[in-house]
Amino acid sequence: MRLLARLPGVGEKTAMRFALHLITDAALARELGASLVELPARIGPCERCGNLAELSADGQVRCSICRDTRRDPTLLCVVAKIQDLLAIERSGAMRGRYFVLGKLLSPLDGIGPEELPLRSLVAIIRSEAVTEAIIATPPSVDGEATALYIARELSGLGVRTTRIASGIPHGGDLEFADQITLGRALEGRRRIGE
Amino acid sequence: MTPSLALRRVSVRGLRNLARVDIEPVPRLNVIAGDNGHGKTSLLEAIYLVSTTRSFRAERAGEVVQTGQDLATIIATVQDGLVVREQRAIVGPRVKSYLVDGKRPDRLVTFATLTPVVVFHPGDLSLVTGPASLRRTLLDRVALFHEPTSGDHRQRFLRALRERQDILERKGSSAAELSVYEELMAREGALLAAARERAAERLTEALTPAFTRMAARELELGVSYRPGGTTDSDQFGAALFSHRAADLRRHTATFGPQRDELELSIDGRPARTQASQGQQRVLTLALKVAELATVRAARGAEPILLLDDVSSELDPARTGAVYEFLRETSGQVFVTTTRPDLLVTPGATIADRADWHLRDGALVP
Ligand SMILES: Nc1ncnc2c1ncn2[C@@H]1O[C@H](COP(=O)(O)OP(=O)(O)O)[C@@H](O)[C@H]1O
Ligand SMILES: [Mg+2]
Ligand SMILES: [Zn+2]
Repeated sequence: MRLLARLPGVGEKTAMRFALHLITDAALARELGASLVELPARIGPCERCGNLAELSADGQVRCSICRDTRRDPTLLCVVAKIQDLLAIERSGAMRGRYFVLGKLLSPLDGIGPEELPLRSLVAIIRSEAVTEAIIATPPSVDGEATALYIARELSGLGVRTTRIASGIPHGGDLEFADQITLGRALEGRRRIGE
Repeated sequence: MTPSLALRRVSVRGLRNLARVDIEPVPRLNVIAGDNGHGKTSLLEAIYLVSTTRSFRAERAGEVVQTGQDLATIIATVQDGLVVREQRAIVGPRVKSYLVDGKRPDRLVTFATLTPVVVFHPGDLSLVTGPASLRRTLLDRVALFHEPTSGDHRQRFLRALRERQDILERKGSSAAELSVYEELMAREGALLAAARERAAERLTEALTPAFTRMAARELELGVSYRPGGTTDSDQFGAALFSHRAADLRRHTATFGPQRDELELSIDGRPARTQASQGQQRVLTLALKVAELATVRAARGAEPILLLDDVSSELDPARTGAVYEFLRETSGQVFVTTTRPDLLVTPGATIADRADWHLRDGALVP
C-alpha cells in the first residue's frame, strides 16, 4: 500500500482501495506483478527524443515516432514532458518529430540551464535535416524562460526557431489543453525574437 | 430603486468562526451587528472571497478555514439584472475551487470580476498614510476590471522577479540564464506599468470630483503615478542589466513596478506626511469612492459595497463614512458595527435596511 501511494495521483485512500482489490483478485495481482517486473526491461526512454520506446532486440532504442519514415524530418517540436508530446500527437497538427526536455528552467527549484539536455538537442539539429525547431514549452514563466534560453542556444545553427502561439491560458498546462486549441497554437507559431 | 446587482442569498460553512451561517440579504442596506470577535468581519470576508477569490485580510485564501475543518465553502446566489447565478468558492490549504452555476470558469479572473465588490476595512484607513503597496493594490484592483490580463502580467512579473533575484544571489551577476528572466521581467513589467498608468488616469478622473465634493473647503488635489520601472520593454531590459550589481548588493530588485508609487498631494504638499488628519481621512474616503466609480464604469453595474467597522462608538465621526458611502452608491451595501443603534443611515429608509446579529459565529434573532 505504501508503494502504491507513491504513484502520482494516488492518495492513501486510493492506495487502500487498490490494495484491498488486489487481495481479493489474486490472478490480477499476479499478472500485474509480472508485467511490472518486465516493464523496465521492455520500455524505456527513446535514445533520440526521450519519448517512451519499446526496447528492441537489436539494442537500438528508438520510439515509434522517430522510426516513422513518413514524418517530416525538417520539423522538430521541443516539449517539456512526454505528456505534452502525447497531447500534441492527439491534436494531429504535428507532422515532424519531437524532443522531450524532461524539465524546465526553474531557479527556485535549483534547476539551471546546465540541467537541460541541450547538447543532445544541438546534436540532433546538427546531424539531421531539421530546418525549424518549434518550442512548445508551456506558457508559464519557466516555460517561457526555457523557450527563450533554447532559442538563444540554437541561434547560429541555421534553424528557424519558433514558439507556439499563446491561446493556451497563462499558467495553463499543454497536457490538459483541448485538441483544437493545441492545433491552433501550433499553426499560429511565430519566430522567437520577432 | 432596486439595484441591478445584489446578493440574494449567502451560505457560509467552516470559515473562521462561522460554522454555519445562511442569510438572505436585502437589496440595499444590510447591517451586521455583534460584539467584537463574534464573526462580523468573517462574514464580509466570506462575501469578498466568493466574489473575488481573495480575502481582504489573509495572505492566502486557504487561511480562512475554520480550525478543525478541511474546507471552507461559500455559496452565493447573485441577482445580476435579469440573470440569477450561483457562485461557489471551496477553499482549503491545498484546494481551491470556484464554480459558476456548477461549472469552472475558463479563467480565474473571469470569476473574480463577475460580481464586482468594493471593500472598505480598517486596513484601508492607512491608504493615504501607509506603505505604497496599499496604493498599488488599489491601482491593480482598478486595472483588473478594465483589463483582466493585467493580473496575469502582475503575477508573471513578480514570479520572474523572484527567480531573477534567486539566480543573482546563488550564481552571481554573470549567470547565463539571467538575461532570459530579465527579458520576461521587462516584457511583463512594461505591460503592468502601462496598465497601472491607465488605471491611475481612470482613478484620477473619478477621484478629483469625489474629493472636491467631500472636502470642507476648496483644496487642490494632486495625483500622479510615479513608475518604479518603465512602459518601454527595451529600456526596462537595459535597466535590469545595469542594476544587477546593485540588486545583488541590496538583496532586492531596485527597478520595476514593485516600486511604483501613486503620489497624492493636497495644495502642493505630500498628503502622506503633510496633510491634516481630517484631510487624510477625506482623501481616503474619496479614493474608495473613486474605486467604486471606476469599477462601476468598467463593469456597467453598481458594485456591492462592504464596509467593515467604519462606524464605531469610539469614533462617532466615522459613522459619517457610512453616510457618505450610502450617498455615493445606489447598490447593495453590507455594514458591520458593534452598535447598530448608533448607525444613522439617512440614505436608506427602514424598509431598505435589514439588521443581522452575530454571536459566537452564528446568527441570533
Ligand atoms: N481559522 C479560524 N478558525 C476558527 N476561528 C477563527 C479562525 N480565525 C479566526 N477565528 C476567530 O473568529 C472570530 C471572529 O473574528 P472576526 O470575524 O474578526 O470578528 P468581528 O469582526 O466580529 O470582531 C474571532 O474570535 C477569531 O478568534
Ligand atoms: Mg471585525
Ligand atoms: Zn523518439
